[in-house]
Amino acid sequence: MTAPRTPHWRLAAFSTTLLVFLAGCATTGYESVSPTPMPDLPPIVDPPARSGAPTLLIAMPNSPNFVEVRKSLVSEVRKNFNIYTLAVGPESTPADLAAAIEVVNPVCVVLMNNATMKLYRQYQTAHPTAPMPPAVLLMASFVEEVQARLRRATGIAYEVPGVTAFVHLRSVMSAPINRVGVIYRPPFRKFVEHQKSLAAKEHVELIGVSVPNDVTAAGLRGALHDLANGSKVDAIWMLNDNGLVRDAKFVDDAWRTELSDARLPLIVGVSNLVEPSSPLGTLAVVPDHEALGLQAANLIFDLADNDWKVENHPVELPLSVKTVVDVNLVRASFGLRPDALSHIDKALE
Amino acid sequence: MTLRRNRHPPRPIAWLLLGLGLLHPSHPARSAMAQGAKPAVHVFLQLDAKSSVVEKTLQQHLPQLGIVVFGRFRDFEEGLTTGRPDAVLSIRAVLEQRGKAPSLQGNRGGQSAEPYVLASVNQPLEGSLAGKTIGVVDLLGRDGTQTFLNGLLKATDVKIKRVAKIEDLLPLLEFSAADGIVLPRSMLSRLLERTRLVIKTKELPGGPVGLPAVAVLNPAVRDVIVRCFQELDAPSKRLLGIDSWSVQ
Repeated sequence: MTAPRTPHWRLAAFSTTLLVFLAGCATTGYESVSPTPMPDLPPIVDPPARSGAPTLLIAMPNSPNFVEVRKSLVSEVRKNFNIYTLAVGPESTPADLAAAIEVVNPVCVVLMNNATMKLYRQYQTAHPTAPMPPAVLLMASFVEEVQARLRRATGIAYEVPGVTAFVHLRSVMSAPINRVGVIYRPPFRKFVEHQKSLAAKEHVELIGVSVPNDVTAAGLRGALHDLANGSKVDAIWMLNDNGLVRDAKFVDDAWRTELSDARLPLIVGVSNLVEPSSPLGTLAVVPDHEALGLQAANLIFDLADNDWKVENHPVELPLSVKTVVDVNLVRASFGLRPDALSHIDKALE
Repeated sequence: MTLRRNRHPPRPIAWLLLGLGLLHPSHPARSAMAQGAKPAVHVFLQLDAKSSVVEKTLQQHLPQLGIVVFGRFRDFEEGLTTGRPDAVLSIRAVLEQRGKAPSLQGNRGGQSAEPYVLASVNQPLEGSLAGKTIGVVDLLGRDGTQTFLNGLLKATDVKIKRVAKIEDLLPLLEFSAADGIVLPRSMLSRLLERTRLVIKTKELPGGPVGLPAVAVLNPAVRDVIVRCFQELDAPSKRLLGIDSWSVQ
């Protein structure tokens, strides 16, 4: 049975598709979205500089999620470092970044989003023999791959590990979660392999099904069907991959059609897909940006204590998330644990 | 020192990000005055429930007080400055760090303090902890939490990993990002319920740690605050991890 397709759902799905694109693969940065400017955001104001304190250069877009991470990070480090923030936008060039680095001579640079990291990479390429400040990479897709292309960089991955989502799902619903299915396109293969070993620590078998980059709705539906009926998984995990969530029609034709038959909980990475008026996602697990700022501060302090030897510091996994749950759906279909509501950030009914 | 403020992300980005209501700051500091003439009480505790749940419960059961619950240390710290509360409810170590004496001490099972444990995977962390990485909730800021942890562990050369919420301790073990985690023994059952890791624990030599207590900062409203908390119903007290109060 297919649930009704309301305009509300379509808007949410469309939003989600674009958001997935932005959050999940921003290697193209701003280039692939409309250049229409958004309303003015409040200007970022750095704390007053203190003489003699080392400086952190933070290069980032001036938009809400990045600002939230920065706020938390700055509140942690401001007693130890001066802060110099470079707002990065579509017109920013490597020369802008180079000028900032030259002006402040930072002890460390914090780079947020893939477009900013791309600028830094161009800066490094243009200065092949110059000493580079250590870099901390945040809020970008596949940070490990970015790290490999930069000198003196480490960071924190932005993708929420599957195991984190699976443990949260277990704490919300009564039905057992021992096998989880995930569908992925080739660029996500390495990511999914890593997730399998992490999930195994919590005794969850992650079963991956690879689909082509240009998978059709019918192809995706077939893969979902195989997971549900062949592999007998207990839940499905939807990756933040815009190729799997292209638009409302694609989501309806593939995910919605198959999952309404299979009656399996669906874990998603964006809250917009959890919508009780038009059920699809059961649990959304999204990064906790305030906590990410604290984790980044810890990382910077660790690096400082270790004489800024970033090369020895592997990319960390994000520790903290927020959860959104379609409580009606869980209660009706999978059993809501008695204490679940105390542990959910946003319970939708 | 900020460069180039006037670069704007495209409208679709902002539109979409704003759609994620969750992603806004979870708990901005609020002024005590925002809740009218009620005595303002700031609460900062690490409990087995989301801060929003604790706040809603306390607001329902302490209608004469203006309750604000903070889930994170930095928000709590900022709230103390900007909100100027009439009283603070937190564990004794947090109150003592700020030189505040409790007016009411929470008790559980006749005890005013509880042990803390060091939890690790597969085997307990025995022997020297030198160089080990230990995870702990950020209760007292960077320096304060390090001092608190050193005192609990009776060690000084431990590397600390602070997390924002008690539920964030488990990923430290799952990701092998820490050798162990420190938490109140009363929180252990919740941890074991959530994970299938084999968790081993040992009690910490530097404990026990005082249970939640109320420090009244404004003597003019001391009586009403003490009376309200003393009349708090049993389930709400249980949520706070206590079963009775004693006047100090």
